[in-house]
Amino acid sequence: MSYETTVDPVDAIDAETQVAIDVDRAKGDFHFPEKHKFDAGVGLSSDTVDYISNVKDDPDWVRAFRHKGLETFLNKPMPTNWATKDLDNIHFDEIRYYLADGQKPKRSWDEVPPEVLETFERLGVPEQERAFLAGVEAQYDSEAAYSNVKEELEKDGVIFVNSTEGLKEHEEIFRPWFGKVIPTGDNKFSALNSAVFSGGSFIYIPKGLKVKHPLQAYFRINSENFGQFERTLIIADEGAEVMYMEGCTAPKFESTTLHSAVVELVAMKGAKIQYVTVQNWSSNVFNLVTKRGIAHEDAEVRWIDCNIGSRLTMKYPGVVMKGERARGEVISIALANNGQHQDTGAKMIHAANHTTSNVVSKSISVGEGRATYRGQVTIPKHLKGCKNNTECDALMINANSKTDTYPAITVRGNQHVTQHEASVSQVSEEMLFYMQQRGISEAAAMSLAVNGFINDLVSEFPMEYSVELKRLIELEMEGSVG
Amino acid sequence: MSLVIKDLHANVEDTPILKGLNLEIPKGEIHAIMGPNGSGKSTLSKVIAGHDDYTVQSGSVTMDGEDLLELDVDERSREGVFLAFQYPAEVPGVSNANFIRAALQARLPKGEELDAVAYYKNLYSKMDVLDMDRKFTARAVNEGFSGGEKKRNEILQMMMLEPKFCILDETDSGLDIDALKIVAKGVNAMRSPDRGFLIITHYQRLLDYIQPDHVHVMSDGQIVKSGDKDLALELEESGYDFLKEGELANA
Amino acid sequence: MSTTIAPMNILETQPQTPAAFPAWFSDLQQQAWQEFLTTPMPTRKDEVWRFGNLKQLNFEGYLDEENTQTEISTPDLPEGVICLPLDQALESHGELVKEHFMKRETRLGSAKFAALHKARVKNGLFVFVPDGVRVEQPIEVRHVLAGDASASFPHTLIITGKNAEVSVFDHFSSANDDDAGLCVAVNDLIAGDGSKLTYCAVQELNLTSRMIQVNATTVGRDAHAVAFTLNTGCQWARNESISRLDAEGAHSDMLSCSIPTGTQQYDQRTYQHHAAPHTNSDLLYKNTLFGTSKTIFSGLILVDQGAHYTDAYQTCRNLMMEDTAEANSMPGLEINADQVKCSHGSTSASISDEEIFYLRARGIAPRQARRLIANGFSVEAVERIRQERLEELVLAAIDRKFSTIS
Repeated sequence: MSYETTVDPVDAIDAETQVAIDVDRAKGDFHFPEKHKFDAGVGLSSDTVDYISNVKDDPDWVRAFRHKGLETFLNKPMPTNWATKDLDNIHFDEIRYYLADGQKPKRSWDEVPPEVLETFERLGVPEQERAFLAGVEAQYDSEAAYSNVKEELEKDGVIFVNSTEGLKEHEEIFRPWFGKVIPTGDNKFSALNSAVFSGGSFIYIPKGLKVKHPLQAYFRINSENFGQFERTLIIADEGAEVMYMEGCTAPKFESTTLHSAVVELVAMKGAKIQYVTVQNWSSNVFNLVTKRGIAHEDAEVRWIDCNIGSRLTMKYPGVVMKGERARGEVISIALANNGQHQDTGAKMIHAANHTTSNVVSKSISVGEGRATYRGQVTIPKHLKGCKNNTECDALMINANSKTDTYPAITVRGNQHVTQHEASVSQVSEEMLFYMQQRGISEAAAMSLAVNGFINDLVSEFPMEYSVELKRLIELEMEGSVG
Repeated sequence: MSLVIKDLHANVEDTPILKGLNLEIPKGEIHAIMGPNGSGKSTLSKVIAGHDDYTVQSGSVTMDGEDLLELDVDERSREGVFLAFQYPAEVPGVSNANFIRAALQARLPKGEELDAVAYYKNLYSKMDVLDMDRKFTARAVNEGFSGGEKKRNEILQMMMLEPKFCILDETDSGLDIDALKIVAKGVNAMRSPDRGFLIITHYQRLLDYIQPDHVHVMSDGQIVKSGDKDLALELEESGYDFLKEGELANA
Repeated sequence: MSTTIAPMNILETQPQTPAAFPAWFSDLQQQAWQEFLTTPMPTRKDEVWRFGNLKQLNFEGYLDEENTQTEISTPDLPEGVICLPLDQALESHGELVKEHFMKRETRLGSAKFAALHKARVKNGLFVFVPDGVRVEQPIEVRHVLAGDASASFPHTLIITGKNAEVSVFDHFSSANDDDAGLCVAVNDLIAGDGSKLTYCAVQELNLTSRMIQVNATTVGRDAHAVAFTLNTGCQWARNESISRLDAEGAHSDMLSCSIPTGTQQYDQRTYQHHAAPHTNSDLLYKNTLFGTSKTIFSGLILVDQGAHYTDAYQTCRNLMMEDTAEANSMPGLEINADQVKCSHGSTSASISDEEIFYLRARGIAPRQARRLIANGFSVEAVERIRQERLEELVLAAIDRKFSTIS
């Protein structure tokens, strides 16, 4: 856009401060040699789509869906009229779109190939499963290597499988909603995902069932020049409740990696879905994700989103509040470090009376990092009693960081209340002096201040969940790191 | 411990504020500095603490013979210098308990962890002295605090960190008489033969509750008059007009 | 305006600069015409036209006629103050005009129409206040558009010297209710160091007319600029307002009230550009929407790298008077500096039943109560003009609008 300004390259902030406010990125930075039986090769064409369909033995309707997705993708321009020009650095003809070892996902970790097991053990996934999860799906490149859900949940009728199994084995539930919350043509990347999707979860929670422990998916990229395109559909039937958590990491390669997921949530009458993400991709990953939920009458969809990693993330979780008194919420934390652009936000579409939405977004720009908030709130005609509250706060850690906020709020009619507030601030010198006068080093004072800024949102995340977030919390608890 | 300030000159940007200040506070003593607004009292406290905005041009500040001016702010604090701020900063989102804990943790050798149980026990006992509600530990540092709560919080931190040398900068400002008494109680509980105090105040009021050993008058960046606690009463009665009238001969 | 020129289609016929104007101006107009021809029309893809009604940009068939009457009334002007119709200023103070005339880039979407304005402008106002001179009472300018399918391109250029002060009232109205006029107005406000410049535009064109107004304010060291716009007329109006804070201590107030009724549409884009440290800008836009009217507010605060210690505020408030109105708000921030205090807020709400009840309990009829509250809502922005005569003129225009609402 015409507002674009350039930022001169400048010295990074001092190493100690960097360490103190940084998160553990090294943890995911390892990979194993590739052992792929199926490889769709480099580049994207109609043949690539057919290759994937053949390997996965897609039903015809899915094959047709994929081809339509490809066509839409090719016809849609890059959204660089409003988004960053960095998107032009994605070379679609250099990416590998499908890599898999041809194995079905295992129900026991013992059966998982050793290097895959080691990968997930290093990431702490089996340990977390034992500790507090109701089910886990672990995806390695294009396909799930492990997928298991607690037996009693299965008996209650909970379905927790990968998308391939979902569309084949549960077509009657899967197909009516698949691609309905996010149509193929929603944006260029949802179209791309529709063409080459593989992996991701299909979840169905039966009527009235409240799943106590979270379900988790872990998305792992192991291969270079790779694109991961998981597709997740979660349906909570009337009165059901579920929390789903996703984590992700990738090794840091020289070349760029693409991650472009589509996540659709359907909360039927009175249902509640909470979707928690801790995104910690390595800094060569383009993370371009489309996420949206439909909330029917008295239902609630909450997106709890933390973006720490990636080179560029573009993600604006949305809620379509379709039934009366439906609620939508987006809680978002973004940390943009040197070389990163976190372009995140929320879309709240009010489509019934007395619907309520809430957006709280906090971003931290460090060094030359850039954080952008984009929001859309729409309250159309002939509705009554809709409410939206949006708060976005940005914290800047260094003179060279950058933050932007671009909300768009459309309200029709005089029976609604919307409120939007945004602020930009920095850790003041006065605050740092105060903390240092108590003997706390500058670096530790900075990390205390940063954690203080996001503290109220961190409490929205399940405590046990992620290594990454835990570390952020630990900084607050212990204070004197650095 | 003893704090010795010799011929201290300090500037804010290019403006000299401290102009050859001399002061010695032997261990166990409480010294009060009084003086009109703009005399440099608060600057002195910031310079001792090591604030970046002030540049020391010449002179020295030593504590038990160690040169404080060589140290960073946080190093001075860990050496035992404590400043109770006139306007304590707010630290949003960071609870008091975690803040004080971080400050104590910073004083431990690397790898050593603070004993959480002992810490809370200690914290609660000090809070009781200052008549502070337990809920206070969960509130963010100084955020939304009343003037009195902020000052009490300063004294609580002082009691927890057990410094060698305490500077109280206008701690009495904005306090009602009850709060003032509580603050004084905390300070008096801290009095010890090993600890020195510098109390900066505009009014004599606080000194009714914390008896100073010496009172100094500061004007235009220097100590211009020194005496015992009666000097404070004198000043309260006759004000600082004498400074203008050139009656500095007896300083 | 004595020269008569044969009517020309504004989109097709090359403009002819009057012979009395300096050569540089003639060259500038020819260049601008080329620029107009080569600049593409805005499209739906342009972020600066998001939610905008591009159909309103069809200006086919409009003629460049000299129908607009511009009347300038001046208070007693101190010595040295120049206050002239633009055409006369071009002849007598050409160099001064040249230095400041449309020097700033149009970056909020109407570059093509600003170029059209530049190519076709013949009338307007030129004000120069020398160093240290203060003009106490406002200079009042009234543009009356006449003729069906007739276009007008008035320009306002105000320059204040060091520590000078001036205020200008610019009023736009139509000669009758039926002639569909088009007004493409541009103003350049240049507030010199330490000066105070207040500009107030009131747009009361008839409901068949359209208007594009492009404002460029430049604020110097320790200067204070106030730019206010009231929209009550037109079927469609687009306002683009840029304030650039050029030097330390610069302060800019950007204010607006819009009261659309029926099917009126107002599209407002603003830009607070902090190009220097220790600068301050404060924007308040208030929209009171009736009928099926529509407003768009899109604001951006840009803090340049190095523009530390900036305070920038941006607030847009929509008062929804009827269930069929539509308000779009896009309050934006782009911050590239540290140690800044920036915030924006946007609200949309209607008058609450409790408020109405309270006034009714004091014996005020419901309709009157709503009007009182709506009026009070606008006054908050008007009060910040802080110039008695200007506030009076604006409040009178607001009253005129409310008196048409049943």
